[in-house]
Amino acid sequence: MKKLALLLSSAALLLSMAAFSQTADKYISSKTHIKFFSTTPVEDIEANNYASVSTINPKTGDVVFSVPMQSFEFEKAMMQKHFNNEHFLVTNIYPKSKLKGKITNLDEIDFSKDGKYPANFEGEITIKDKTSPIKETGIITVDGSLLNLDATFNLTLADFGIMFDEGEMVSTKIAKSVKITVKSEYKLQ
Amino acid sequence: MKRKKITRIASIVVLAGLLVGGGVGLYMFNMPHRDVQSAKVNYVLTSSEIVSEYLTDKVAANKKYLASDGDSKILEITGIAANISENFKGEIVILLKGPDDKAGVNATFTIESNAGTSKIVVGKTATVKGVIRSGAAYDEDLELYENVILEKSSIVNN
Repeated sequence: MKKLALLLSSAALLLSMAAFSQTADKYISSKTHIKFFSTTPVEDIEANNYASVSTINPKTGDVVFSVPMQSFEFEKAMMQKHFNNEHFLVTNIYPKSKLKGKITNLDEIDFSKDGKYPANFEGEITIKDKTSPIKETGIITVDGSLLNLDATFNLTLADFGIMFDEGEMVSTKIAKSVKITVKSEYKLQ
Repeated sequence: MKRKKITRIASIVVLAGLLVGGGVGLYMFNMPHRDVQSAKVNYVLTSSEIVSEYLTDKVAANKKYLASDGDSKILEITGIAANISENFKGEIVILLKGPDDKAGVNATFTIESNAGTSKIVVGKTATVKGVIRSGAAYDEDLELYENVILEKSSIVNN
């Protein structure tokens, strides 16, 4: 009987430790900056978002970004309205975009040692109801228990079903491919 | 003579049309952003109320609060200040969250309204006004509850 109690309590202890370690060793960031930049001969358009949430799991290499689309702020109010509306990103129905995938060179990143590490990432981005694969490189900077991520990549709008009719005013102003710059600061939690 | 008059009137009408059209176009193109801080509040809620509304029925809540042109509803939210931080732009971010709630309301201020947050104390009740950008939900990829996002916030003095 005593043996059983001992066995049960040690099992419970192990389980709680496992649960603890699962939540305790993940980097979480709510301090993020995502910039959208489009350039055409007619106009340069920039939008900034400071409200995304991201996680990096140093054990599995899982990276996730959840991006609130209505938080993208443009210089011109009309551009912002176009970006959100039913012909473009339909943000009232699809308020969040998601990036998720894995760091593929995890063995080259030492999360316990300060420094800058190139990180290769493979995954997918979901915008509206369309998902498209993505393969990019970013830089991870380890600074004690803090982690910084910097990455720049291009998105082709047609991959997400975002097309412009010829003659539509925005068609001359927004490039077919836009540059996305990501910066985020994580804390180990 | 008559034809000349018609041509003159027609050209005046066309010119006036062009001027008005051009003016409207120019106004639309340079239209200023909505001033959230001076706009009317659409809903007055506690942080717990809006979080529970979103966790119960996300689709219905999005329909109620989010606008298709991005100028979504303006909310006045009261809750307990659970955390104070700063974003990459230098704007203050205050999390209003009930002690037993799974998620809260993350209210981002502006460079202009930042100063108003100096009296906010963690653990004490605060009321803010801002525009909702997205709701609360459990995200299975993040393995986290995401907060309601409020931006262009300012402090409401009671």
